[in-house]
Amino acid sequence: MSSELRVEQLRKVFTTGKPPVAKAAVDDVSFTIAAGEIVVLLGPSGCGKTTTLRCVAGLEHPTSGRIVIGGTMYTDPQAGVLVPPRSRNLGMVFQSYAVWPHMTVRQNVAYPLKARGTPRAELNKAVAQALDLVELGSYADRPVTQLSGGQMQRVALARSMVYQPQILLLDEPLSNLDAQLRLRLRDDLRRIIKRVGLTALYVTHDQTEAVVLGDRIGVMRDGKLLQLDTPSEIYNRPADLFVAGFTGASNVIDGTVVSRDGAFGVIAVGANERLTARLGDGVSEGSAVKVALRPDNVGLSPVGDGPNRFKVRVASRHYQGTQTVYELTLAGATIEALEVGSAARHDVDSEIVVALPPEICWAYAV
Amino acid sequence: MDAQATSLAMGGAKTNPHASRSHRWLPWAWAALLLAVLSFLIIYPTSMLLIGALTNVNPVVDGYQLSDLSIANFLTVAANPNVAGALLNSLIACGGGTIVAVFIGLSFAWVVVRTNTPCKALIASAGMLPLFVPPLVAGVAWAILGSPKTGLINLIMSKMGLPIRIDLYSMTGMIFVFGIYYAPYVYMFTAAALRNMDPSLEEAAEISGASATRTMATVTFPLIMPAIIAGMLLSFIIMLGIYGIPAVLGSPANIPVLTTYIFALTAWSPPQYNTAASVAVILMIVTGFLVYLQQKAISGRSYTTVAGKAFRPRALNLGPWRFLTLGLAIVYIFVVVILPTLALTVAAFRKFMFIRDIPALFDMTQYSWIHFNKMFDNPLTLQSIYNSMYVGVLTAIIGGILSFAIGYTITRTQTPGRRIIDIITTIPVAIPGLVIGVAYLWAWIGLPGGLYGTFWILALAFVARFLPDTVKALSTSLMQLHKELEEAAWICGRGMLGTIGTIVLPLARPGVVAGMTLLFILAIRELGSSLFLYSSGTMVMAVQLLGYYEGGNIGITAAFSLVQMALLAVLITCTNWLSRGAAEGGVVRTG
Repeated sequence: MSSELRVEQLRKVFTTGKPPVAKAAVDDVSFTIAAGEIVVLLGPSGCGKTTTLRCVAGLEHPTSGRIVIGGTMYTDPQAGVLVPPRSRNLGMVFQSYAVWPHMTVRQNVAYPLKARGTPRAELNKAVAQALDLVELGSYADRPVTQLSGGQMQRVALARSMVYQPQILLLDEPLSNLDAQLRLRLRDDLRRIIKRVGLTALYVTHDQTEAVVLGDRIGVMRDGKLLQLDTPSEIYNRPADLFVAGFTGASNVIDGTVVSRDGAFGVIAVGANERLTARLGDGVSEGSAVKVALRPDNVGLSPVGDGPNRFKVRVASRHYQGTQTVYELTLAGATIEALEVGSAARHDVDSEIVVALPPEICWAYAV
Repeated sequence: MDAQATSLAMGGAKTNPHASRSHRWLPWAWAALLLAVLSFLIIYPTSMLLIGALTNVNPVVDGYQLSDLSIANFLTVAANPNVAGALLNSLIACGGGTIVAVFIGLSFAWVVVRTNTPCKALIASAGMLPLFVPPLVAGVAWAILGSPKTGLINLIMSKMGLPIRIDLYSMTGMIFVFGIYYAPYVYMFTAAALRNMDPSLEEAAEISGASATRTMATVTFPLIMPAIIAGMLLSFIIMLGIYGIPAVLGSPANIPVLTTYIFALTAWSPPQYNTAASVAVILMIVTGFLVYLQQKAISGRSYTTVAGKAFRPRALNLGPWRFLTLGLAIVYIFVVVILPTLALTVAAFRKFMFIRDIPALFDMTQYSWIHFNKMFDNPLTLQSIYNSMYVGVLTAIIGGILSFAIGYTITRTQTPGRRIIDIITTIPVAIPGLVIGVAYLWAWIGLPGGLYGTFWILALAFVARFLPDTVKALSTSLMQLHKELEEAAWICGRGMLGTIGTIVLPLARPGVVAGMTLLFILAIRELGSSLFLYSSGTMVMAVQLLGYYEGGNIGITAAFSLVQMALLAVLITCTNWLSRGAAEGGVVRTG
């Protein structure tokens, strides 16, 4: 039922503006999603993630590249293969829900089955099952315009799954919902998709959504797929400075590599401080680097001795209730540190010791 | 916490010496003033029309008498088979015209919004041109083209030996001309709906496995159905109130519709004012019912989109078929714009409309300015143009000031009774221009020394007729001004009037200017209400054109039509330039 998706060297060039300028919205993107796996494409707006998804759906025609679903070629512009969306047997959940306002919940969900000429008895059973799955069984005969945003999104989900598509595509399905609902539906979504065992491609710009939902996350920027990995790899071993920054490593310290020893190296920062960090690819002795570090990984007043201990001054303190954010001056740079808990223990202008664990300090070539 | 805030919180604030109790009556007085003006403009004439429909008294001879009011008078008229016949003709002509208009308008909207037909933008704006042509001019042009004996089309067909003959002096002719001229109304509603539809609604259907035609039938059309119905009813309503087209095309074939029948009643001798009032009331009831349906269609099932963003409509790639759609669009524009203009031009410049054969059509010695010279030799021509301008200016000034006052009161103040002011202002939407004419006739003809026969009665009737549209346009531009802009001026110490003068008027000026020029244009092209209100000294352009047409001189009629069209074209271009498209929207709602 659910199939493997293979995207190979996908490229989509748009020509816009006056004079016309060709711009690659998707630039040589390749990845494979195993059957039953959820992959999330994550990136800022305009990074090409939605275009990639729409190419898989067949709604957008790529300039070049191939899309193979379950071993069948669906898109290959060079070979003139372009299967229209209606013949792809994919499910899609849209950002604006796209539930049809002139139909009831049941009519919406039954629509794809009717288009397929499914016999009535089978259709009714499938619709009932799909509605139960999204817990809207008792709403079947309501007009969709009477539903809340979250309910509409669940109608859209039921509609996209009722015909057991090969792959489920989700285009920022939670972005129009309010924050609380988003959290709830986020967990529901993963549970439902996993229960049905669907292969899913999910697009979002929200990191926490990506982490909770995806078996793997692909980070995109400017049409390129920068890294495709499990959430913990993305968070603990970002491939480059952008991925690090986008997933929350907002502290950046400039430095120069003094020596390299395997995966780690010593970096000169500030006036005469030394910092040990994990080195990225292409970083050798003498190269200028930027060291990225998550604020929550800065150890405040560590116990005992260890590497990367620095004396820093507390420049400012932002009390946020359940946590406190400190701005610290370290080797001429300002870094942020997070202290969890409702008590803020360090005062402005005090000198404290911080520990920056080397395995989660990443140095990237500038 | 400072001391002042504390004292306020404790309720111990000193009374501000500027807080004036004596001005409490001011909002009430203002509301009373507005209500008095509106009663004078709208309620009084409408009531007089109703009274006229219920009496048998001739107002010219006997003055107004309320003694023998009886529903029987109205029922007698309503039961008259001639009235029923005219009503039936009206419904057939407008119903048929609406069907044609929906077919053309919807196809046109789909081609322009949803396909990759070349030159879409150009086609779209050319397709709107019929909106600006006065109905009488359209009727005259098509009479020149399609009269059974002398029509240019029949002439060309017979000279070419083709067995095709058309007769536009018929019900079919009226339906055809109504349909092609009022298609833009349907187009505007449906094009907007198609443009604002979330494209993912259709994409979802495609992903679900529906074919392109199935998507159109089950998603696209059901979703724009409210817009189709609204556009359909609006075009029906406007056709129902049109005088010019049925007067030219229906009367020769002896097909009276309600509008032409009403006018015929007042032109009889002696004039049948009571019967005319009764028929006008019937027309008003039918129109009012349709307006009610239209408002329901607009407000009831409108499928607003969930995401509040602008959509790029999906353009269907038609491949080589796009040249077919381009061709059809060009045919439509040729038929509604180019052909009638050519016909008017030939008729206006040709010395004699007798055309022996096709080469004779291009014989330049047959063309001259003779009709224009004759037309301007008649002092009434220039006088009527001047009169129209004068009435137009009066209408624009009175209407502009009144609309601003009402618009501001409704949208910006807490004046008591502003709901009722709003409602009264909207009443004329359901009253065709011709009925307003009859109502004003009834309101003033029996008062010697009153407004009847003056320019004022024309201007006031026009103000009343177009009030809903100008107030709506002005309210829209007022609502775009953020309330805080005014509040900031109040905080700075300005009073209400000072704020209006220094903040509101300067900022709303483009809207006010556009509204006033629009009123001017609408006033000079208005025929329906002028018909009943002009006198020999206040002849206006539109009525003068009808006079030339009925006088039987087709050359002068065509020449004057061209002059009026040129004048309107210049004015509308100026207005559009001033207001970026407001004129289009305005003409649209009033016909």
